[in-house]
Amino acid sequence: MKKKQVIAVLAAAAFGTTFLGAGSAFADEPFRTLDEIKESGTINIGVFSDKSPFGYVDENGEYQGYDVYLAERLGKDLGVEINYVSTEAASRIEYLQTGKVDIILANFTVTEERAEEVDFALPYMNVALGVVSPDDAVVESLDDLGEDDQVIVISGTTAETYLVKNYPEIRLQKYDAYAEAKTALENGNAAAWANDNTEVIAFAIENEGFTVGIPSLGSADTIAPAVTKGNETLLDWLNEEIVALGEEQFFHADYEATLLDTYGADYEDTLVVEGGAVGAAAETETE
Amino acid sequence: MEKEVILQYLPLYREALLLTLRIGWQGVFLAFLFGLACALIRHRRVPVLRHVVTVYIEFFRNTPLLVQLFFLYFALPKIGIRMTPEVCGSLGLGLLGGAYMAETFRSGLESVAPIQEESALSLGMTPLQAFWHVILPQAFTASVTGIVANVIFLLKETSVFSVISLMDLMFTAKDLIGMYAKTLECLTLLVVFYLIMLLPVSLLGSYLERRLRYAEYGK
Repeated sequence: MKKKQVIAVLAAAAFGTTFLGAGSAFADEPFRTLDEIKESGTINIGVFSDKSPFGYVDENGEYQGYDVYLAERLGKDLGVEINYVSTEAASRIEYLQTGKVDIILANFTVTEERAEEVDFALPYMNVALGVVSPDDAVVESLDDLGEDDQVIVISGTTAETYLVKNYPEIRLQKYDAYAEAKTALENGNAAAWANDNTEVIAFAIENEGFTVGIPSLGSADTIAPAVTKGNETLLDWLNEEIVALGEEQFFHADYEATLLDTYGADYEDTLVVEGGAVGAAAETETE
Repeated sequence: MEKEVILQYLPLYREALLLTLRIGWQGVFLAFLFGLACALIRHRRVPVLRHVVTVYIEFFRNTPLLVQLFFLYFALPKIGIRMTPEVCGSLGLGLLGGAYMAETFRSGLESVAPIQEESALSLGMTPLQAFWHVILPQAFTASVTGIVANVIFLLKETSVFSVISLMDLMFTAKDLIGMYAKTLECLTLLVVFYLIMLLPVSLLGSYLERRLRYAEYGK
């Protein structure tokens, strides 16, 4: 009996260590080139399914939103069917690195850390961070938070990274998905929710009793499609496409079709990036 | 594999391990209590209560822990019952585990021949003494394999705690991957930490089993 047990433990340990060594064996070119995608007739696009009005599933089970509007156009111009893959914030990079999707169009903010892992195309939207809180205890500055106050963030978002880096003393309550974070805020489980300001503004508009106390936090960022690191053919095509779409003011049309109801006309020029040009920021993006 | 990355993340994983263990064992403890109580009620055929217990067992054995946690954490506050994520986690695990433990204990109790109790009573023991000194030890040894399997099952089920914002091992790994994208390192640490948590339980289980059943195994 003793011997068998020792063997079992060793086997378990050996099984564990095979994971350690196996990393590089699967790492060869997980992505599909532009031609391969066209040949297959289907493109896999990772979008959110619970982030209204950017990427969500409507009451008929169809994907809708600002990101999806762009995805539909990309599929049309490529001449392929679209297979939508629902993603969570924290798995966006994973999905690209493992080749589960060809493009991520899930409101993906461009950051330095992420740019080391994936390739971003030209941006199509502006974004900053924002903080929403209940009307009866509006949080107007993160310094106002008490010691016991928790702030909701969604795992794998720029809001999380920003708070971890700049406000390490704030206690974070982390969720995987938007739906859960919103329910938690509604239930009063935390003092505030920090996320992309577009998202928290939409939440405050749609839910009575909540105010965006901090409309802009951290640096102004952009949102762009992302492809697997090194997938140059697809990246080049995306960049050309976004520039071309700019000429017909595609993203303004996108805004008016998907975001106007939520944000009104006031935010149109603040949010929309046309043809990948964000003033000075555009040069650093395309380097 | 980057060694610095692993060293940097180790404290976070250790914290997650402690949280997972704390909530896990609270859940296992509750599961023992619920399980034993339910098994007794069913075994002794307590009127009315045994139907309640049957409903409880079938309800919790046939819904996923994920759904139960969602209910405890997101639905109950709507009717004014508010619990911290940790309490929800322990309670959810305890309720789920209780349903499984009840069945395990019951099969243990049923494996003890009725003559054991009759003999104990005829020797002048009170029913409680008979149960405590004669029935329970035999029932427990008979069900120890099932109990250990349940404990390991419950500890593994903690991996769905992320839905109620508990930073257990699984969520810590996913969270770090989301922020820094060091997938290989994070997932390797995850596997290793689960093994660290569960291998000792598994070994302790087989040791216990042999000790408790030495009548069958010999020393």
